[in-house]
Amino acid sequence: MAFDRLFNLGFDLATTISILALVSIGLAITFGMRGIINLAHGEFIMLGAFATLSGVRNGLNIWIAMLVAAVAVGVFGIIVERLLIRWLYARLADTMLATWGLSLIMVQVIENLYGSVTEGIAVPVGNFNVGSYSMSTYNVVLMGAAAVCVLVTYAVMHHTRYGLHARASVQSHTMAESLGVNTSRVNMWTFGFGATLAGAAGALLAPLVGVIPTMGQTFVARSFMTVIVGGPAFVAGPVSASGLLGFIENLSTNRFTPVIGQAMLLIAAIVILRFMPQGLTGRRSLR
Amino acid sequence: MNTLLARLGAPGGGPAHGRLRTDLAGAAAAFVVAAVLANLVQEFTAFEWSLWATQAILALSLTLVWGQGGIFSLGQAAIYGIGGYTYGFWAINFADNTGETITAVVAAVVVGSIVAALLGYFMFYGNVTDVYVAIITLATSLVLFAFVNSTSGTAYRIGDAPFGGYNGMTRIPRLTWRLPGAESHVLTRTQFFLVCVAAGLLIAVIIRVISRRPFGRIAVALQHNELRTELLGYDVRWHKLALFTIGGSIAGLAGALFAAWGRFISPPVFSLAPAALVVIWVLVGGRTSVAGAFVGVLVVKGFSSWFGGASGDNEPIVLGLLLIVIVLALPGGIVPSLGRVRTWFRNRLSGSARQHAHQDAAAEDDAVDRGFAAESELRDTIEQPARRIAARDVTRRFGGLAAVDDVTLEFPPRGVSCLIGPNGAGKSTLLALLSGQLRATSGSVTLDDHDLTKWHPYRRARSGIGIKLQVASIYKALTARENLWLACYAKTRSIESARNRSAELLEWLGLSDDAERPAGTLSHGQQQWLEIGMVVAGDPGIVLLDEPTAGMTRDETERTVSLVTELGEQASVIVVEHDMEFVRQLEAPITVLHMGAVFARGTFEELSDDERIIDIYLGGSHADAASD
Repeated sequence: MAFDRLFNLGFDLATTISILALVSIGLAITFGMRGIINLAHGEFIMLGAFATLSGVRNGLNIWIAMLVAAVAVGVFGIIVERLLIRWLYARLADTMLATWGLSLIMVQVIENLYGSVTEGIAVPVGNFNVGSYSMSTYNVVLMGAAAVCVLVTYAVMHHTRYGLHARASVQSHTMAESLGVNTSRVNMWTFGFGATLAGAAGALLAPLVGVIPTMGQTFVARSFMTVIVGGPAFVAGPVSASGLLGFIENLSTNRFTPVIGQAMLLIAAIVILRFMPQGLTGRRSLR
Repeated sequence: MNTLLARLGAPGGGPAHGRLRTDLAGAAAAFVVAAVLANLVQEFTAFEWSLWATQAILALSLTLVWGQGGIFSLGQAAIYGIGGYTYGFWAINFADNTGETITAVVAAVVVGSIVAALLGYFMFYGNVTDVYVAIITLATSLVLFAFVNSTSGTAYRIGDAPFGGYNGMTRIPRLTWRLPGAESHVLTRTQFFLVCVAAGLLIAVIIRVISRRPFGRIAVALQHNELRTELLGYDVRWHKLALFTIGGSIAGLAGALFAAWGRFISPPVFSLAPAALVVIWVLVGGRTSVAGAFVGVLVVKGFSSWFGGASGDNEPIVLGLLLIVIVLALPGGIVPSLGRVRTWFRNRLSGSARQHAHQDAAAEDDAVDRGFAAESELRDTIEQPARRIAARDVTRRFGGLAAVDDVTLEFPPRGVSCLIGPNGAGKSTLLALLSGQLRATSGSVTLDDHDLTKWHPYRRARSGIGIKLQVASIYKALTARENLWLACYAKTRSIESARNRSAELLEWLGLSDDAERPAGTLSHGQQQWLEIGMVVAGDPGIVLLDEPTAGMTRDETERTVSLVTELGEQASVIVVEHDMEFVRQLEAPITVLHMGAVFARGTFEELSDDERIIDIYLGGSHADAASD
């Protein structure tokens, strides 16, 4: 196989993996938290994309618009946590239903505001060539951004006081509380942090996908499967699962169609969970 | 909780066929009302109502799997969609030849249950639980959505029926039937409506029957405490799979009726909105009630057409708000809440609530005195062949830590054995390895000549191993009688003898007067005894007791000594305990575990003179002790 062909395949694969990591890392953080299943995660991504779109339309530089969008979605996440989520801690199914309600509302509100047609944002950078293949420089940006998001998350979770408190709350909520950690406050920031990452993912994906109100649906299934397959580790989980599932999705997309790719991702995830119920980073356990 | 109990019914309660008659009468009355209404309104209106009836059937499929078995499936709408497409394929291909589409409905039901069974196998046999089930079922629908959306073009077809991609499948034949030798007959709109109503009511009755049968009671039990259900000897994975498969067949039927109704089915049936809608119907109506499915569909329909605007554009906003409000304010749903209001009023009127509370308090006071009043009766009922359980070179690692490290122990077929040791010695882990909650990393567990090492807990329970866990594992929301009934039924597999046996056990445990109270409201000691009673109910040859006296008063502990000694005459009883006074009174051979390994064995007197043991308990240096 020629080098350029191989490079192209690898480049494609790295892009798929980066996208998976981007859309799932925010979810992994809120998921790891006490009993929060954020079904509106896809809509947070969608909100990030629309916020970027609005910024660009209002004459903002695209990179700045992306940054603003991520922060805005983070703030929105904090508001949602205070108004809705905090009443529902430790009620797994209920958080899921409530955030589902939220996602239905968000899709419709955005549709009422922007309409349901596909909106495009121009890809802000050009292409480069390797051999006879042309590749988008923007994908390189995407990979870099995914790496940055992962590293920032790792740094925040393992090298800040907040991160220590968050990890402590996950291990034992009551123990953290009795050691003087304000877990309610920690939960609020965690949800906000997860929302910011979702917003950033949406912002970064905006130039690549059709920015439509229902775009969240495209990502929510994939990001949930990635997080579940990844298992309990905050950072290692989604990263390892993105690698594995991204590989499977990319391979079957190249061989067949994108739809088959998504289906293969799902099937692989279900089969993996059948034999590793705790996910890739879960404690190795036979039961 | 109250409604759940009411629905479950006391296992000792009235004759089941009497309640079936009531259900059938109710269903017949509802059918007559529907028939009268259908003839009063215009045919087109009745036809529109048919849609609601098919939706109620879809909702019932979720009532069964979620309300009954606690399986939070978001995939019912997807199976419904699959049922619709199946009906379409079958009817388009064969209706011209056969002159009927009833076989197409059957095909939809069969395919629906096959899909559910496949999905269920991977989920339940992979021990996927709770929200993971929700996410996997949802993700499956979304992938189906993407797939069916991409099937435009002539390449995607089955026989004469194209998928149709995002435009959907069109020209699906109406519901048609044909008696042998007669002309085929396309159902009129009114007839179709009545068929849908009849199907819905029939399924509602079937679900109520299931809920009263042992199968349904076990489903409710596993929803409340899956671990205990498995430890009693029920194969919980199989039960969930069966329930989910039945749910799938109901959803498949609903889908077939839907496709026959609209003569059309399209990919959005697999999208998020319908999946959410099913959950909303059931949530609004109340997931524990079959009437809730019908009420939910009608109320949600009313709400969304009332507030959603004429064009229906804002329907998702209304539904989303409804979902949030119900979750925050009315988690039980409408029908069960109405039931609670009714009970409250009735109690207000009769003043019986206060009386009950008074009785309960009084009952609790003498419960302890009456504990094990009927000990001798038990002795007649248990007769077990001697079983011998053994662990050979068993090691269990958690990461780098060997909680149980190369332990070889064999327990005598009768009599009590004690396991003691400081915290973290591996006692509970060892019991879990014997009961099957954990699997050994290496080594083997045997019962007589059988190698159990790879058996699931329910199989071990069935072969006569019973365990009382450290933290009492009972069904707190079910009554004491129901707890024991479930334990007895696991062994006897007969409703009648399980009922009699549980009454005997209640008597024996001194819980007869508290039999109808939710077990969670019993005193701590009573809960421990109840769990021991549930273990005894299985006539186990091996009884594992993990800290049976934790939280008991001195008086209760003494009674437990005689209980354990008595059990030891029938079975091999292995007791883990920290209470040394209790251990001394048992006068049983003792094994001391320390850091996952067997440290010493002997009688209480021998061991109480052993300084090394005092050292490990009091935290003296292990190195010093070993050098002695």
